[in-house]
Amino acid sequence: MAGTRRRAALTRFRRRYARQRAGLYGAAILLVVVLAALLTPLLTDPSGMDVTKATGARMAPPSMDFPLGTDESGRSVLLMLLWGARVSLLIGFMSALLSMVIGTVFGIAAGHFRGWVAAVLMRVTDWFLVLPALVLAMVLAAILGGGPSTIIVAIGVTSWASTARLIRAQTLAVEARPYIERSRALGAGHWHVMTRHVLPNVAPLVLANTTLMVASAIVTESTLAFLGAGSGQVSWGTMLRGSYDWGAATSGAWWYVLPPGLCIIAVVLAFTLCGRALETVLNPRLGGAS
Amino acid sequence: MLTSPQQVRDDTEEGGARRAMARYALVKLGGTLLSIGLVIVATFFLFRLIPGDPTIAYTRDVPVTPEQLALLRRQMGLDRPLGAQFLDFVVRTLRLDLGTSYEYRRPVAELIGERVGPTLLLVGTGLAVAVGLGMWQGTRAAWHHGGRFDRLSTGTALTLWSVPTFWLGLLLLMVLAAGVGPIPGLFPTRGMEDVDAPGGPLYLLHVAHHLVLPCLTLVAVVYAQYLLVMRSSLLEEIGQDYVTTARAKGLRDDDVRRRHAVPNALLPTVTLVFMQIGFVVGGAVSVEFVYSWPGLGLLFVEAIRGPDYAVMQGTFMLVCVAVIVMNTLADVVYHVLDPRVRSA
Amino acid sequence: MVRTGKRLAALSLALSMATLLVAHASPSAAKASQTSQGTAVRSPQTEKRIVRLGATQSMDSMNPFLAVRVVSTSIHRWMYGFLTVPDSKTLKPGPDLAESWQTSPDKLTWTFTMRAGATWSDGRPVTAQDAAWTFNKIMTDDGAKTANGPAVENFDTVTASDDRTLVIKTKKPQASMLELPIPIMPKHVWESVPDIGTYENETYPAVGSGPYIAVEHKKNGYVRLKANPSYWRGAPGIDELHVIFYENPEAAIAGLKKGDIDWIGRLQGPQFEALAGDPNITQWNTQGRRAAYLQFNPGAATAGGEPIGDGHPALKDVRVRQAIHHAIDKKTLVEQAQNGLAVPADGSIVPPMYQEFFWKAEGDKAVTFDLAEANRILDEAGYAKGADGVRTMPDGKRRLEMRFSIHTDEPVEDKIAQFLTGWLKDIGIQLTTRRLDSNKFTEETGSTALYDIAISGWSVNPDPEEILATHLCSRRPTASGQGGGTESFFCDKEFEKLYQAQLAELDRPARVALIKQMQERLYTEAPVVAIYYPNNLEGYRKDRIASITPIPEDKGILYGGSSYWPVYSLRAVERAAAPAGSGSGSGTVVAVAVAVVVVLGAGGLLLMRRRRASADDRE
Repeated sequence: MAGTRRRAALTRFRRRYARQRAGLYGAAILLVVVLAALLTPLLTDPSGMDVTKATGARMAPPSMDFPLGTDESGRSVLLMLLWGARVSLLIGFMSALLSMVIGTVFGIAAGHFRGWVAAVLMRVTDWFLVLPALVLAMVLAAILGGGPSTIIVAIGVTSWASTARLIRAQTLAVEARPYIERSRALGAGHWHVMTRHVLPNVAPLVLANTTLMVASAIVTESTLAFLGAGSGQVSWGTMLRGSYDWGAATSGAWWYVLPPGLCIIAVVLAFTLCGRALETVLNPRLGGAS
Repeated sequence: MLTSPQQVRDDTEEGGARRAMARYALVKLGGTLLSIGLVIVATFFLFRLIPGDPTIAYTRDVPVTPEQLALLRRQMGLDRPLGAQFLDFVVRTLRLDLGTSYEYRRPVAELIGERVGPTLLLVGTGLAVAVGLGMWQGTRAAWHHGGRFDRLSTGTALTLWSVPTFWLGLLLLMVLAAGVGPIPGLFPTRGMEDVDAPGGPLYLLHVAHHLVLPCLTLVAVVYAQYLLVMRSSLLEEIGQDYVTTARAKGLRDDDVRRRHAVPNALLPTVTLVFMQIGFVVGGAVSVEFVYSWPGLGLLFVEAIRGPDYAVMQGTFMLVCVAVIVMNTLADVVYHVLDPRVRSA
Repeated sequence: MVRTGKRLAALSLALSMATLLVAHASPSAAKASQTSQGTAVRSPQTEKRIVRLGATQSMDSMNPFLAVRVVSTSIHRWMYGFLTVPDSKTLKPGPDLAESWQTSPDKLTWTFTMRAGATWSDGRPVTAQDAAWTFNKIMTDDGAKTANGPAVENFDTVTASDDRTLVIKTKKPQASMLELPIPIMPKHVWESVPDIGTYENETYPAVGSGPYIAVEHKKNGYVRLKANPSYWRGAPGIDELHVIFYENPEAAIAGLKKGDIDWIGRLQGPQFEALAGDPNITQWNTQGRRAAYLQFNPGAATAGGEPIGDGHPALKDVRVRQAIHHAIDKKTLVEQAQNGLAVPADGSIVPPMYQEFFWKAEGDKAVTFDLAEANRILDEAGYAKGADGVRTMPDGKRRLEMRFSIHTDEPVEDKIAQFLTGWLKDIGIQLTTRRLDSNKFTEETGSTALYDIAISGWSVNPDPEEILATHLCSRRPTASGQGGGTESFFCDKEFEKLYQAQLAELDRPARVALIKQMQERLYTEAPVVAIYYPNNLEGYRKDRIASITPIPEDKGILYGGSSYWPVYSLRAVERAAAPAGSGSGSGTVVAVAVAVVVVLGAGGLLLMRRRRASADDRE
């Protein structure tokens, strides 16, 4: 019975999403990029990323062997883009996940509880909401030292507040419904209400929000890398930093400067389009009348 | 982050509007002070997490004897218990004593003072242009919802929003300041002014000339959010009965938009402007670095590279406090302006 | 209301664009109006001879007692005289504000005779009192020690017996007495400064005795220097020297190519290469004074011999250090990390620029890139390879997994790390890179010894004594953990003996031979392994700078050396007041800008029309 209902809901969702043209484009781009990132280890040889094993000339323009030219050590830019996608996406997903978990916990708790608990939670959320996230992330990255996990933490910890706000509003709406009252009367505890009733109801919104969050996390990662707080692995952000460090722009090596930036734009745009489409489908009021 | 404009509305009780207002102001003030307090506490503990001995950092490149080092530790209060150090830190911060920079050997507060102007100029101009552009395009996009302008402007804005700020800045620098191929370098490659800056009113133009590229970069990356919010809140207004009524009454389309829909849709956007100041400041950091713009963002990046912890700490606190204060102001303005909230 | 507002906005946009253009198109007009406001009247025939130097850092302080950045110490060398200055040909100390000097037989008392006729830029004579005040200030005031405290550490007393005689008594003999990095400051101006440690020295024109006078400093913007007409050697050949700060090296290169600046020094390889092919730019590529090397943790200990830190035990074995030396392909590193613009190091830490002191390993002694040899040494020494290719200690307890410490935000070091990791993998050592900010780096590699292998590098002065001293036992940290300036935690009896011998050796060739032996010892014991000596890379615009003499004169440095010779010798290209080139340049600017304004205006009009039309349609 519940299964049928869920399946029906899924079909409805799919049909509604299919009407979001931009969202479809976004999803298509994401599908391609994620597939490429997943297949890279199977299709390419990671030794091409080792500078001592690089075969190309330094900063060579595109050719048959190197469709997107080479970097300052003679590595294929295309190969680096593929491997870099893995790191960029990983950092994007992981930090969005971290941010989502913190945001959801804070949001649901702030919406569920009353009194000083809610007040304190909201105060902290508001605090994180207004703080300049990039500046805080830079401080965190500088203090915690390099590495992908540092970057994930720095981005995750600084970007959850808006999720929390959104989830709180939704939680308040859900908890106002009569069946929650009934469930309480039947002796359901805080935990039960939050995990069994509130969470499933806010989950779609969380999903939409997380999608948007991945987008900004990828941009933030590249900015941190550029400003010197890199993950130490080849990502699109560190590639851009490398092209800057090795003077690719002034020496005219557009094949090293443009592709990583365009990849970031494409993927971030794709995530944003998907997120907006999801928002519209799941919560028509939010996306306006579109 | 792209956020929706939903904003807190603190409920005030029924009763004398003035009493409610006073109470509201008090609550707001309390909240703001609490936030600022939180910034100070967070800063203290964040910067105590740094491994290593700050005195060693401070005496880098300078030979010192163990006695001098002990003296320095005493002077910096590092030999006292954490609680006492914290109290000391709070007192000094409140007195605007932010410590001394290792790099410049000068009080951090002074360094920050020199850098505030250029950053205000950049962020202020950028914000004004971005908000203006966003609102204008947002309004138009919503009014001709689904049309070509809507799709084009929303698409452009979202694409530009996806661009890493520093990358866009570098590209613009290479194309419009350095010049590529047939395109001449129209704009300066660095800073806010040159050595031979003219005096008098021409000086303003001189600075404006330097401001074009940094401002353009900042605007391109941040205006999308204002466009989107303006668009969606106007769409909501358009769906309301009163707009339909007004249109049905035969009012000119333009008038309906200008007199009724836009003013109502404006509030969420204005709120967002202030809520997202932190985001704009973040963008300014990259922009200032790329264009050697002598502002706080550049000071901050330099401090991180140094590393110059005192400067990092001071800039961080200042930026956070400034953003918090701006938000409170926005809340208050919102409260005063929005009749719905005031009469609640 | 709204529409008028919009129109107003459009109008003001167009207006501001237009005015911007005017401002840009006619810099000479703007400047003319500025001068007419001021008092100076310039001859209309020739422009001021100005040279603009770009720097990729800004002044840390205008106070020479505090400033340590290269840009600041360079500018101070142009603003203030020193006791001595390196000779422009030989780099050996020559007279500057001190005309001549004598030493007592015990080498403890130095008597300098100050130059007659040298004046401060405010007209007062430069005397021995000024010099004595400067040194005494640094010796007695902790606040004044920041920049040059170590240089006077060994001073006992400094006195001026009369206006022209300066007597310095040292506690121990000091070889570097004629290379003191301390500018002589005007006592009559500085005496009244209450606290040197916080004084900014931002009064202009600054009183100095060098070839240039600082007349303006826009913090984080630029420093403007004027030729000193009363300079004792005679005024320099240009009117003004501007030092312009860039935060972004790429922007600085763009600025040089475009003509926003005329000269830039201390370039990195990629930036230098980007200048190639520009017909207006001279690329300046000469031997540098820097050595880049790796330092190993040879079982670090304090000056008292107490072991400290957590260095990998295998590195105590000189055979392991030598094997790693064999696994470094210095030629490739020069090619890849320095764009080929460096000299691979066959010697030790003294670069070949200093021909006299430079030592080079030859024949069998030379360690070549040979992975097989490295593997053979390690096999023979009992470090057996495991199944995964990583070796273990002879006792089988610890794997050869090591850390490589570099600085954050240093692309060249990152590149070296990438290569080193690859090569060491081939000889069974697993390397992981640690990026540390410079505070932590200094602490971990200089006092707490929490490293295995670390990057290092040093700019070497004409006399290499100081750089060699950084490998003495006594330089190791004290028991309390305070660093003594060691660059390697090296402590070797043989090396100490040679060091003491060269200190006492007064015959120069004999001392040179001893210093070469010290370098050989460093090479074979390998507490440090030199990788390469980066070239000094600069670039300047031929159409702006007519001539500039490097130091040393044959093939030397332009910017960043320890003298004022290059900037003193600068000659600008003489130009008429309204150069034809700039006229055509601004012509393009005007054309493009007018086009932009027209397009914008037309677009705006069109938009308004269309909107009105659509609004009317809908009614």
